[in-house]
Amino acid sequence: MAPHPAAMSKIEIRDLWLSFGKVAVLQGVNLSVAERRITALMGPSGSGKSTILRVLNRLIELIPEAVVKGDVYLDGRSIFSMDVVELRRRVQMIFQIPNPIPNLSIFENVALGLKLNKLVRNRSELYSRVKTALERAQLWEEVKDRLSSPAGKLSGGQQQRLCVARALAFEPEVLLADEPTANLDPENTARLEELFLDLKKDVTIILVTHFPGQAARISDYVAFLYKGRIVETGPTKEVFTNPKHELTEKYVTGKLY
Amino acid sequence: MNWRRVKNWLGIGAIVVLSLFAVAPVLSVVVSIYAAGAAAIASLGGLATFLTAEPPDPFATSGGVGPLLAGTLYMTALGAAAGILVGFPIGIYIGEFKRDKLSHVARGAVNMLVEFPTIAMGLFVYGMFSMVRGDVNSVLAPLSRDLSSVLGGWVTWFVGPLDFYNAYIGAAALAIVMIPYVALFTASAYASIDQPLREAAYSLSGREYKAVFTVLRKVVWRAVLASFLLGTAKIAGETAPLFFTALGNHYYAPFTGPTGAVTLWIYEAAQSSYKVQVDSAYGAAAVLLTVVLALFILAKLLGRGR
Repeated sequence: MAPHPAAMSKIEIRDLWLSFGKVAVLQGVNLSVAERRITALMGPSGSGKSTILRVLNRLIELIPEAVVKGDVYLDGRSIFSMDVVELRRRVQMIFQIPNPIPNLSIFENVALGLKLNKLVRNRSELYSRVKTALERAQLWEEVKDRLSSPAGKLSGGQQQRLCVARALAFEPEVLLADEPTANLDPENTARLEELFLDLKKDVTIILVTHFPGQAARISDYVAFLYKGRIVETGPTKEVFTNPKHELTEKYVTGKLY
Repeated sequence: MNWRRVKNWLGIGAIVVLSLFAVAPVLSVVVSIYAAGAAAIASLGGLATFLTAEPPDPFATSGGVGPLLAGTLYMTALGAAAGILVGFPIGIYIGEFKRDKLSHVARGAVNMLVEFPTIAMGLFVYGMFSMVRGDVNSVLAPLSRDLSSVLGGWVTWFVGPLDFYNAYIGAAALAIVMIPYVALFTASAYASIDQPLREAAYSLSGREYKAVFTVLRKVVWRAVLASFLLGTAKIAGETAPLFFTALGNHYYAPFTGPTGAVTLWIYEAAQSSYKVQVDSAYGAAAVLLTVVLALFILAKLLGRGR
């Protein structure tokens, strides 16, 4: 299949419609996501932000009532024509609630995806990939002496960074983050935000956030959604300082929630 | 006196008393079986003899449950293996794929099977086997000859032409009893997994079957293993499914023919007019209770290890 003409963006969403039965959740969404930048999706609850993320890695297919129309391109190739295993290797996700596999150790949690997908050939390569992932997630120094401890014994912030490490073990090109700091205290929130700023050198990050302040702090681009539609997109500074749409202005000034 | 506090104490007291009423019969049964069973085992030659000797005839002074225990353990092991192999995937299907219409049908069928009279299951297995016995034996007879020429005569105790009553259809009937328990426990375990964890599993695995059978299984393995143990404990104590399948046997004999079971002996010997046989029934009940309690305790320890 020939790549889509707009192949400069990392991800291109074209006229995306999604409904659950008769309820339209996304209505004609068009969005370009720049490579190796942080793009924030912000908007009130129920605007479709998390749903967009689940389309990007096709987790939406777990919901049989979901009907998707339109297309999404990753490096110019439609994600719906791609093997889902390849897609989910390239596009990884972290979730609002840290979700390490509870019965597995810290090491096994990070190694799990590598082993399942046969991405390593031997034990020493596995160790190397796990160590690298934990280092990139800024967790290695805190856990290097207890890799065989249960992941459930880590603090909330550490568990979320472990989930980041688990995703990074795949060496993904895109990281989808669905309100990753919603359940963290301010200190851990700040640590995770710093981590994202560091990661964006290598990874394209799409961040769903409920907090306009977070989007303003760390994102390069922002898209404001309201009731399933993109209202406004653009460079973060521009959208926050000079919003073009009345709804956007209300949202960034805290008058719409 | 604070009337609200009095009402609270009365309520809690009533719950405690009623709980004791519920637990007391169980404790009473366990204590009485072990008391009578221990005395019976001692009078019939001691534990080692009891676990290996054949059941006593009416005029014997010693005896045991050796062939019956072998039959119970063999049929329970086979039945549990088959029950788990079939019940586990069914449980995953009805617990994890609730969106499929077929999974609703499967759940309905499993719910019905759980309530099905187990004696009818035995009758069903016997009837089905009778229809195919000839064909089955046409395969087993030469297979048994070939295997015994290579491995020795002992193979014929396990592999050979099957009589109308045999250990294998007994195990099949027990498996059918176990399947719905394993399926429902497994379904419940999978359904209790949080959605974020489920999404993480699919995100890591790519393929649905890997997410379900590998990642999510690691999350629920304790609950599922406990369900296997509880299901095994249940079928170890079953009697009715074996009436028309294993039939019963007082002697050590190939499993390809009528096979004894501890539960069948308890049913038979408890009605005997001879004290030695009634005593051996108590002893057999104590042995069976020990096996079942061991499985229950193991399941409980697994659950606590979470």
